[in-house]
Amino acid sequence: MDHTFFLAMSYGATAIAIAAELVALALGRKRAWKHIDEERELEAQD
Amino acid sequence: MSGFGWAFARDLTLALRHPGGTMLTLAFFVLVASLFPLGVGADPQLLARIGPGVIWVCALLSAFLSLASLFADDFADGTLEQMMLSPDPVFAWVSGKIAAHWMVSGLPLTLLSPLLGLQYGLSSGTLVALAAALLLGTPVLSLLGGACAALSLGARGGGTLLALLALPLFVPVLIFGAGAAEAAANGLGAAPHLSLLGAMLLVSAVAVPFAVAAAIRIALD
Amino acid sequence: MNLFYLSSPSTFFHFAGRLAPWFFVLAAVLGATGLYVGLVQAPTDATQGEVYRVIFIHVPAAWMSMFIYFVMACYGAMALTFNSRLSAMMARALAPTGAMFTFVALWTGAFWGRPTWGTYWVWDARITSELVLLFLYLGYIALANAFEDPRRGDRAASLLAIVGIVNLPIIYFSVQWWNTLHQGSSVRLTGTSMHVTMLTGMLLMVFSFWMYAIGAALTRVRSIILERERRTRWVRALRPA
Repeated sequence: MDHTFFLAMSYGATAIAIAAELVALALGRKRAWKHIDEERELEAQD
Repeated sequence: MSGFGWAFARDLTLALRHPGGTMLTLAFFVLVASLFPLGVGADPQLLARIGPGVIWVCALLSAFLSLASLFADDFADGTLEQMMLSPDPVFAWVSGKIAAHWMVSGLPLTLLSPLLGLQYGLSSGTLVALAAALLLGTPVLSLLGGACAALSLGARGGGTLLALLALPLFVPVLIFGAGAAEAAANGLGAAPHLSLLGAMLLVSAVAVPFAVAAAIRIALD
Repeated sequence: MNLFYLSSPSTFFHFAGRLAPWFFVLAAVLGATGLYVGLVQAPTDATQGEVYRVIFIHVPAAWMSMFIYFVMACYGAMALTFNSRLSAMMARALAPTGAMFTFVALWTGAFWGRPTWGTYWVWDARITSELVLLFLYLGYIALANAFEDPRRGDRAASLLAIVGIVNLPIIYFSVQWWNTLHQGSSVRLTGTSMHVTMLTGMLLMVFSFWMYAIGAALTRVRSIILERERRTRWVRALRPA
């Protein structure tokens, strides 16, 4: 196992972690808006 | 420290009236510690090497088992709220409860540890160091665990949440506690490890009850 | 402008929304520069060869993992002292990013350890306390979300964060207190033994990660604010029906 493997695993995992976090941020925002719309619909039914 | 007395006496009396909990903890400790030689095989050198660590991990898990009920029972029936109203400082009666908890969980484990150590073929020097380390370390486990139990009062996820919070905090105690016995086994002297455990005990005995008090206030709001 | 206005969730929501993109831009620019300096310009190390270049991720991630925890605990202290909702929300916003950097520090450390020390993992003081830090982050997130009432979760988790701060000096000073496998500090306030290009690359990456962390936290806190304040008029007005 030469240095390329270890460097690739390190930099690669970091890239994946950052990408995953950015995706999670986007999903979180979508989920927040969904909850707001759902609450609004529930209240409209009252 | 007027609150310490009544809290300690009350919790101890309650625990002794229902010895089931204590017996369960001890039985678990002995059982798990006895399972390892059966599973790992009877190689005496291997057992002597892993003995201190295994016994410590069993002590951790057993202490952890009895933690949930430390504050939860009193929280559920409103006694905890009544205790908060007492004129005695929260620090004092919290320390009393934790001390009582240690008396029926950590202390019996410490007293039993030489017997279990014999199962692993530990030398007498190692047994002494192990017992001394447990004597110093198990109160720290009760203190830190008590803080985690207070933080998670009434939370969803119950025991798993408590494990996630408490076990990482137990890690330094485990490292120095098992390290003390291993150092003694290797003839290096356990004094440095035991001093560190003693320091941990002093610091946590003074500081942790305040954190527990804050956590209980948060839980009762 | 009165800074206290920023402590209102609605004001901060818009403020964070305007700022966050800039922090991401800064992070990208600094990161690109740092990676160029680190991977292209910095020379091969005399002892470790090429594999030392993990340092441009490992050390910045480790520093950020500790720094973010410190900031999170400060917000927790503010949340408890001033009963400030927004401080608690900022602490919650920081936790996942902090956990991510802690994981990256441990992972890259393992892949640096294998070629240099011969092992992926060793239970030395610094590495073990960094692992404990990861569990502290996870415990914080779990505790904060374990209650029906989010305010209760805020307060309990803030207390946990404050108590866990004891771990930070242990991580930092462990290489001085014990004979450990992990190398000691090469970068101190008084100077450094590192080659200047390597140092430049590393510092650029530190600032890149720092800007990223701020951007991520500001973005995340916006979602948290939306969820918490979803019944208020100003949130409803953001999305006319």
